[in-house]
Amino acid sequence: MNVTCSDRERIFEDGTPVEWAALEAHAASCPLCAEEVRAWKLLSAAAEELRHYSGSPLLWARIERALTEEAAQKTRRGERWNWFSRLPRFPLGWQTVLAGAFVLLLAISGGWIYIHGPVEPGDNDKSLLRTSALKQVESAETAYERAIDKLAAEAKPQLENPATPLLANYHEKLLVLDSAIADLRAQAGLNPSNAQLRYQLLAVYQEKQRTLEEVLEAKP
Amino acid sequence: MGTMGLALPWRARISPTPRERGTRVEPSAPFSGGGSSAAMDAQSEDAALAVGCRSGDLRAYERLYAMHGARMKNVARNVLGNPVDAEDVVQETFLKVQRSIASFRGQSSFVTWTYRILINTCYDARRSRLRKREVANDDSEETPRPEPRAPGAHPSLRMALERALAKLSQHQRNVFLLYEVEGFRHAEIAGMLEMTETASKNTLFQAKKNLRQMLEPPRSSGAETR
Repeated sequence: MNVTCSDRERIFEDGTPVEWAALEAHAASCPLCAEEVRAWKLLSAAAEELRHYSGSPLLWARIERALTEEAAQKTRRGERWNWFSRLPRFPLGWQTVLAGAFVLLLAISGGWIYIHGPVEPGDNDKSLLRTSALKQVESAETAYERAIDKLAAEAKPQLENPATPLLANYHEKLLVLDSAIADLRAQAGLNPSNAQLRYQLLAVYQEKQRTLEEVLEAKP
Repeated sequence: MGTMGLALPWRARISPTPRERGTRVEPSAPFSGGGSSAAMDAQSEDAALAVGCRSGDLRAYERLYAMHGARMKNVARNVLGNPVDAEDVVQETFLKVQRSIASFRGQSSFVTWTYRILINTCYDARRSRLRKREVANDDSEETPRPEPRAPGAHPSLRMALERALAKLSQHQRNVFLLYEVEGFRHAEIAGMLEMTETASKNTLFQAKKNLRQMLEPPRSSGAETR
């Protein structure tokens, strides 16, 4: 194998044994390459000066003590958490799958309860009515509404043909109250457990009752 | 500190003693004779060490120390420039091996893995030392402590080389120390320093070129370097 001066650095960096032998053969007849090869090898020889494997009789004793202490600490920590090690040990993949399945189960359960579950008012939320109380309120409302309708039927002739401006005002007021009742009933239909809506509805009914009584009292 | 995931082939085993030097040339082709009894012995020795250390057997650690302790200390001393710090780093390396042996997956030689921990611990120690110096506002130049010398060593050459090495980049210095001083192969160094084998070769080449420039005396007395 023939090498030239231009191959020298490449061989220094990553030459095969055959290439090195060829370079040394070339260096025998090339003073420049001979000097370069000599200097290159001298560096390797000089590096040996930095190799000093001094014995350290105490170092192993130190290391052994440190290893023993750390192992003992680890054992103590392990005993503290021993209950945890009793849990079944699954591979990481299975642990991930199980955790994912658990989260999915929680999400599905929560969603199902949110969509299908009965809305039970909490004890501390007084604005929501319990189912039994709601039925009582609705039946009372119906009876109250019928009673007011009877009252309205009595006042109807005067209101349809108001003899005085006062009666005309009462008529308009009753129209507004009827409109408010219709709105509140629609909202209560959407949210039947909302006690606040029921209170507002009751207040409007009471106002309508008072107005009708005043109309009847104002009979000429 | 990352100590996992070395992708060093099993055949790149680390011998407990540096190779004979002379003209040190590594074959470019993959290692031949991988099935030789010596390679098999080294492989089984390495595996036995890993198993022993994993099981917490102190004798395995003692064997690891007996085989590589002096070399590990020499690596640390040359990286840190201080024999006392070097011993601390070797001790810390053994503790880290004990702590993280469970994460050793056998993708590389156990000993290569150990040396990688050693190198990283040296980096940590250097950083820590620099921080302490900054806190103490100590302006004194870091000088390696004198150490008992091997008989026949050349003090001036050693000091000159140490000074020149200190001027190299950390990467070049480490590759030079591991290859030329400790006698590791490029495949082993690649595993320890998380670089490719080609990069290790190139870094060594650059390091030697730089060292040569720094150490080369005037032409008239060039031959008297050693």
